[in-house]
Amino acid sequence: MKRYILKRVLTGIVIVLVSVCINFVLIRCAPGDPVRILAGLDDPNEDQIAVLTAQYGLDKSIPEQFVVYIGNVLRGDFGFSYVNQKQVIDLIAEKVVPTLLLSLSALTIAVLGGTLLGIYCARKNGKLIDKALCAVSYVFDATPSFWLGLMLILIFASWLGILPTSGMENMRGHYTGIRHVLDVMQHMILPVGTLALIQFPYYFRIARSSVLQVMSEDFITTLRATGMKEKKIFNKYVLRNALIPTVTILGSSLAFLLSGSVYIETVFSWPGMGRLLFDSIGKRDYPVLSGIYLILAITVAVMMILVDVVYSLIDPRIKYD
Amino acid sequence: MALLEIKNLNITYKMKDKSVYAVQDADITLESQDAVGIVGESGSGKSTLAMGVLRLLPKTAVTEGEALFEGKNLLTLSQDELSKVRWNEISVVFQKSMNALSPVHKIGKQMEDVYLIHRPKASKQEIRERIYELFRIVNLSERVYELYPHELSGGMMQRISIALSLILNPKLLVLDEATTALDVVTQSQILREIMQLQEKFHLTRLMITHDVSVVASTCNKVVVMYAGRIMEKGHVEDVLVNPKHPYTQGLLKSFPSFHGEKTDLRGIPGSLPDLSVRPEGCVFAPRCPYATDECRNKMPELKAAGDGKHEWQVACHRNGR
Repeated sequence: MKRYILKRVLTGIVIVLVSVCINFVLIRCAPGDPVRILAGLDDPNEDQIAVLTAQYGLDKSIPEQFVVYIGNVLRGDFGFSYVNQKQVIDLIAEKVVPTLLLSLSALTIAVLGGTLLGIYCARKNGKLIDKALCAVSYVFDATPSFWLGLMLILIFASWLGILPTSGMENMRGHYTGIRHVLDVMQHMILPVGTLALIQFPYYFRIARSSVLQVMSEDFITTLRATGMKEKKIFNKYVLRNALIPTVTILGSSLAFLLSGSVYIETVFSWPGMGRLLFDSIGKRDYPVLSGIYLILAITVAVMMILVDVVYSLIDPRIKYD
Repeated sequence: MALLEIKNLNITYKMKDKSVYAVQDADITLESQDAVGIVGESGSGKSTLAMGVLRLLPKTAVTEGEALFEGKNLLTLSQDELSKVRWNEISVVFQKSMNALSPVHKIGKQMEDVYLIHRPKASKQEIRERIYELFRIVNLSERVYELYPHELSGGMMQRISIALSLILNPKLLVLDEATTALDVVTQSQILREIMQLQEKFHLTRLMITHDVSVVASTCNKVVVMYAGRIMEKGHVEDVLVNPKHPYTQGLLKSFPSFHGEKTDLRGIPGSLPDLSVRPEGCVFAPRCPYATDECRNKMPELKAAGDGKHEWQVACHRNGR
């Protein structure tokens, strides 16, 4: 097991390096120049542009820039944001909390809600409620997240006027203590709701099909033949077997959620990493983009290792020796 | 009083557009300490019959008739009363023993759970001793207690299934193709063990198999089924030595014999009829070499055969002519 984890950590490092390299090259190949964007379109000062280009090291070739960047990262220097005039690491640290708040709440609701509904529908297999919930899950599975977000804003913020349209807190409120917490929670309802509605079909369908599959296994017949109560068969034997797939997809979907909330954060002006990423793409803020991609790559790699380890803990059939 | 008396049993799978008559008008009597084998090709309804009596079939199967176990009709018992009979009085060894237990729970723990269903006040110590005792009986080491099903071979899992079936000292043991999946060496070892156990614990045994040689070597009575109907039944030394029914004769010709002259192995031409159609005549008539118009138009009833010393019944118009 230890050797396996070591091997996975090493491959994880390679994956992160490769992904950082690809991202680094790709954003620099994209049309647009951060210095020209900073200088403005109306009256660009060519001298100023030349000075800034040299200062940011953008006059060097891409491989040279990459070597410098990796060297800096290894020394703990993630660069300086052109646009925000802040250290990238500070910028990300400031945005990561709102993003985690958003994605973890949405994930919790989606996983709990989707799984419980999935189990419920598996027990009511073929009944009207099962068919209805399956239909609902297909609809949300096929809905684009930004569109759903806009619709929810339209209904709950514009028409009904019961929820705020955007942001994480009331800018004019200057609330403190419990009022502040309540204010943030109120602002969370729509974005978290949108993300949860988009994510829940995934967990719903996995739980439902997994429970149905386990209930048709031979060992369930054995347990019935022994006179065990249906309730105990379900709670102890069916669930333990059926929830393995849900646990294993949790890790990968958390990583997906971190980057996937870009649209939602943009639609709801949520001050998180997704929106920072979106804004930085528009302004070609290379150091911020590289920093965010690096963090995402590390998160995905770590989650994949964690999933494998957890998988071997909950399923005795999985061994990595 | 017979231990188990199956009277006029009919099992029908009700589907949306048709009904499949899997078992029709079956009468089987098991005296205490009998070893009865039910033989027939795949799809003849032998497993359905046993599972129907134990009420382990899916809800689409409708079971009618009577199955009197010590005078109690298993088919009309309440769920609670049935739970008390299950495993305490009647236990089963299933065909696919590799899947007979939950893959993610330890074998010992699952056996504990089964013991606790019927002896809820048993102490840990008592249960563990009982399980170790069973392991000794079926020639398994005590360490199996801590293992998972996938860590054992097919033969070992079959022994586990047998040990589990004996855990509460049942009166009737149903073996549903219990040795079919094993290699011949393991099969003969396990069959020998089963017969020793039957003697030691005064068990009554119902053996479901498509292998006539298994019945010949381990049972005292045999029931031959074809297309959901009983063709012939009686003592092994009558039915399998001097078969009266053309189907039994064909079945015996399909197996090689160790002794006696070498003859060509012959199968029975044709295949099982469509069980959703109930023919007017004998179900075997389309494949029977002796079929006459009478056979095709009139269903033969089970009638006594032989010299009347033993109970021996055959459903064939040629019987007694």
